[in-house]
Amino acid sequence: MTEYIPTHVGTVTKYVFIDSPDITPQNLSIRAYEISQGIMIKETCFGLQITGTPDEVGRVIGELRTLDPSHIFVKDRGFPPGDPRRCRANLGGARPGYYGHEFEVRLLRYISRGLDRLAACERDGIPVPETSPKKPPAATRLDVKRLKKIIDAEEP
Amino acid sequence: MSQPVRVAQLSCGPEHSGVQKEIYDAAAAVNAEMFFPDVTLNDIRESYGAFGLEARSADLRLAIARAKALVEGRVDADAVFIATCFRCAEAAIVRNELRRYIHENSDLPVVSYSFTERTTSGTLLTRMEALTTIARRRALLAREVQEGLTMGVDSGSSTTKAIVMQDNEIIGFGWVPTTNVLGSAEEVITTALEEAGVKRTDLEATGTTGYGRFLIGNKIGADLIQEELTVNSKGAVFLADRQHGEATVIDIGGMDNKAISVQDGIPGTFTMGGICAGASGRFLEMTAKRLGVDITELGPLAMKGLSAEVPMNSYCIVFGTQSLVNALAAGSSAEDVAAAACHSVAEQVFEQQLQEIDIKEPVIMVGGTSLIEGLVHEMGKLLQTKIVVPPHSQYIGSVGSALLASGFIRGDIGEGA
Amino acid sequence: MAKVFIYPATSLILSDMVERWGHSPLGAAVAVREHIQTPGLDSPPLQMTPDDPKRGLKYAAVEVPSGVRGRMSLFGPLIEEADAAIIVNDADLAFGCMGCARTNELVKYLIRKRGIPILDLVYPACDEDGVAFVAAIKAFLSDLPGGVP
Repeated sequence: MTEYIPTHVGTVTKYVFIDSPDITPQNLSIRAYEISQGIMIKETCFGLQITGTPDEVGRVIGELRTLDPSHIFVKDRGFPPGDPRRCRANLGGARPGYYGHEFEVRLLRYISRGLDRLAACERDGIPVPETSPKKPPAATRLDVKRLKKIIDAEEP
Repeated sequence: MSQPVRVAQLSCGPEHSGVQKEIYDAAAAVNAEMFFPDVTLNDIRESYGAFGLEARSADLRLAIARAKALVEGRVDADAVFIATCFRCAEAAIVRNELRRYIHENSDLPVVSYSFTERTTSGTLLTRMEALTTIARRRALLAREVQEGLTMGVDSGSSTTKAIVMQDNEIIGFGWVPTTNVLGSAEEVITTALEEAGVKRTDLEATGTTGYGRFLIGNKIGADLIQEELTVNSKGAVFLADRQHGEATVIDIGGMDNKAISVQDGIPGTFTMGGICAGASGRFLEMTAKRLGVDITELGPLAMKGLSAEVPMNSYCIVFGTQSLVNALAAGSSAEDVAAAACHSVAEQVFEQQLQEIDIKEPVIMVGGTSLIEGLVHEMGKLLQTKIVVPPHSQYIGSVGSALLASGFIRGDIGEGA
Repeated sequence: MAKVFIYPATSLILSDMVERWGHSPLGAAVAVREHIQTPGLDSPPLQMTPDDPKRGLKYAAVEVPSGVRGRMSLFGPLIEEADAAIIVNDADLAFGCMGCARTNELVKYLIRKRGIPILDLVYPACDEDGVAFVAAIKAFLSDLPGGVP
């Protein structure tokens, strides 16, 4: 077995997804370069990957979020950017996590709508609408008395 | 070095079991590279729906989508490796169905394997070697006639065999129990050459197979050093004169078993393994010893007995031995015990391995254990078919090796992947 | 600030929501990062070795497949560390670390057994769902220690 010597120890990598009509990944990366100090920024088709010390990455992301709070989404990544172990060019196909992102990215518009509505309510000082979120469906069975009623109601 | 063979991996669990590197290493050792067929999320949804197998694990759904992409030609590959966790029922169902689906709908060679965290690249090597050989050496494997003067050496875990062939005929045999790998090989080579009446320098090409193939092959400068899955398939259809069409080759070995579904002498799907020596020739050797008979007498003895008279389950060799001892202590006849041992080994192979390939007739049994007629009889009963045991079936690896090695005489081997 | 286990552990949306409102998301990436940044034997891609399924024996017995135990060695410590959890129950298309249904059943069970605050949801399928989804998560996170009201 070969010894493994890790790189990027002590850093964090975060994905920054942008799903905005106003801001492109390029805008985001330019802004990130402007405000960053000593962190690694990689522009991708969906946004950015940012690698650096946890504090610095947190600070940059905090600022980036202000560009379009309802349309910028952030997630941790275990690997540094462009890691050959996860790179599509080496694997032949996407890493498994990619499909999960692909699935959730299609739902981001609903999340953005939710974030916009909440922000509007807060801004206008009105309460958040009282809609309860969808819950997993509970197993429901037909009550026996109700079943009897249905049977009795049947025309002979 | 030729282009690496591209092996598509369909799997669930190897990364989290810590064995993905073992898969990579086994592939690299035979100049193959693993890759993961590229599909989209829509492909996954549509393929999974169209395939119709309701797997709950998303990684298995992904495997299904990747299999469909291969079969439908959206992604190119030379071979397919399907790997899922051992003991996972859901994955076993998907693994089997995908293997069958790919086998029936494409020309891609497939091997499926269930791993544990203890799986090593060494365990995977023979399977990966067979997979890449089928992809890379189709021209070599298409050879049906032995030409010139060649020799094949099969270094098995129990016995070492050598065969000398000339112009499609066997002219020399050698057989000894394996002790020292090189020493045993030397002995059988000498015997076979003597019987053939030729000198080592007369040989135009040589091949080796079996566990000791690399050691012996390098020592004697073999032209072909090849795993036993492809070699035995060739040897089996050659000796059984079933070179064309479908066949199933079963080789119950001393250490592990091979079950190979063959098309025109080339393996399509195969399994190799066995959970315990209780499902191998070792158990029969032990039974013979306990009954005080030579292994060659076990088969005829078993034919006189009734396997149903003695309950025996050699899933584990220790349990199998307990059944054996108990049956004898309870007064069972040696004949019935011998028959029960044969039945138990056949049953283990049937349950553990033959479910993983599609049994297509004729079923050809090869290897030393095919000479134990009680075992062949019990296997035939389980498969409900008349099993073919070709002449010289115990020399199958050597014959296959000698046959394939003759492809090197004129250098007409195919390396195209 | 609370540590919030997210399910699916690979969720972009949940990771974002938890972090956005001042808490720390506990997801697969956190556990994978630890493997990737720890020296040892080379075992790509996740730097998980056969020792990891053995560590998983703490959560699942030896007859449980190695892939389940390996994944549990990632998730188990996160579950133990969590102060709260958000579970999206129809996460059928989460792969890799979340790609095994048997592991996922065990993960959900072990979270529920902890007795920590849990928010159960399903993915939104329209704008209205989205509003309710986000509002529920925000309310849940606000009530946790260190939450932003």
